[in-house]
Amino acid sequence: MKRASDILRILVFLAAALILNFPVIATLVTSLKSNAEIARNPGLWVEAPTLGNYAAIFDAAGRFDVWTFLNSSLVAAAIGTILPIIVCFPAAWVMARRGVGAAILFPATVNLRTLPLIVFAIPLYIMYQSLGLLDTRLGLGLILAVVNLPIALLILVNTIRDLPVDLEEAARMDGASLPTLLLRIVLPLCRPGLVTVFILGFITAWNEFLFGLMLTTRDAVPITVGASFFFASGGGGVEWGVAAAIIVIAAAPPVVLGLFMYRHIGGSMTTGAVKG
Amino acid sequence: MTRPARLENAILTAPLVVFLLLLLGFPTILDLVYAVSEVRFETLRSPSFAGLSNFTAVLGDPEFWRATWFSLRFAIVTALAECALGLFLAVYLAPLLRRAPWLLAILIMPMIVAPAMMGLMYRLVLHEFIGPLPNLLYAWFGTSPGFLTAQNVFTTIVVIETLQWTPFALLLFHMAYQSIPEDIREAAAVDGTRSWRLLTRIELPLMLPTIGVALFVRFIDGFRVFDNIWTLTGTGPGGSTTSLAIYIYVAFFRAGEIGEAVAASIMLFGAAFVLLFAAARWSTRGVR
Repeated sequence: MKRASDILRILVFLAAALILNFPVIATLVTSLKSNAEIARNPGLWVEAPTLGNYAAIFDAAGRFDVWTFLNSSLVAAAIGTILPIIVCFPAAWVMARRGVGAAILFPATVNLRTLPLIVFAIPLYIMYQSLGLLDTRLGLGLILAVVNLPIALLILVNTIRDLPVDLEEAARMDGASLPTLLLRIVLPLCRPGLVTVFILGFITAWNEFLFGLMLTTRDAVPITVGASFFFASGGGGVEWGVAAAIIVIAAAPPVVLGLFMYRHIGGSMTTGAVKG
Repeated sequence: MTRPARLENAILTAPLVVFLLLLLGFPTILDLVYAVSEVRFETLRSPSFAGLSNFTAVLGDPEFWRATWFSLRFAIVTALAECALGLFLAVYLAPLLRRAPWLLAILIMPMIVAPAMMGLMYRLVLHEFIGPLPNLLYAWFGTSPGFLTAQNVFTTIVVIETLQWTPFALLLFHMAYQSIPEDIREAAAVDGTRSWRLLTRIELPLMLPTIGVALFVRFIDGFRVFDNIWTLTGTGPGGSTTSLAIYIYVAFFRAGEIGEAVAASIMLFGAAFVLLFAAARWSTRGVR
């Protein structure tokens, strides 16, 4: 009786795992087939696995230069991840320790998470155009930083709140100045929170699509947008093996990072939700 | 508070405030200006005042209402489906996940995949000739529906969105379920409470706030959906998958109707604000 229900549970788990991950599995499998095999065998089994599609991607140049896409994604995501930490850390300390900004600044920033960001996309486009930030990695990184701001502030405030105050008071007694206190005492103690912010922020920034689509055209196109170039807009003429491989490459970094650091971030993946 | 402390506070919050003002405050003002202006790409620098004509144009555009209705329907259906499925999985698989927590990572994976890439993956998966899913359906049933036809496309993207974000609800409910104190369950077991009654009378009521949060977050995210729909179907056959975000994007980039696009986005902003305000009121009342 107990055995039977356990087996049923495992079956339900397997079914859920398979259905939820089906597109990922199917794309991965297709990326390992030659174009000839894709046309002949659309199933989930690879007869003659090949890495040819991946090789073809990295050979492509010009508008399809994958290295440029990857580079743009990396730089923009790095800016979009580190800048919120720099901007939020001092503010988070003041908020956690002195209750500053509890009325407006904190809720306003955290609730940005719930705004449809396309609202800001058009004025940003116009603003970027006059500032020369259109199609630059810095420009893209800045807006990714905005996207990550709510979660960075929320996690940092919570982290600092959970730190014992005595250490800070002792340092103050010893005559540590405020910058020393923040950088030498508080910042190192925040490490777990910082790691979480970094990982979640990087995943969000890398996966972002809308701003990449609107604010870049050639030089700073991130990989999520670049991957969509491989799907000819006309419909026909898509090389499906290559297309599958580019999707895998574009989707892999956050997935690998997320699964690798799962123990670290597991619960906090829903942070913006629990308190928002 | 002492003077120097106040100065310190101002200095420490300054980076955040300045950053917000530059990247969101200024664009918001620009939004308001362009919303009441007659402006095209050629006249970006010299908009001329046009009163509320952009708003009336948007409100009189049936496509705008269609997009609003689409987003609303999409958000409600997906939020409900994701939370129902997530709740079922979290509760039903709880014994399994307690023994082997890492199994959860496998179920969570879809939500780490970029939604835009998920949309592209389904271009492949659902393709009528080379797609693995139609292939399987042909093999099993001898037939396969046209997933992206005008008739079926709404269902298809609802299912796609649901499959990607059920993990979010699952994760949230999993944590809420695990944090129910074990002694409550033990006490109920001593009283001879059946497991179904334990679930409906004790566990679900305890998880109710989390369920509310999950529904709210998923509704919001569903309402502003763009990435996965855009990469899979674009505006869809006959404009049938035009969400509000897609409507605004197309008005701006394809049609160059900047004033109208901005007016539409301000209305979206307003709607989101009202909703958020209502949710905040509702949740604080719930706490009291």
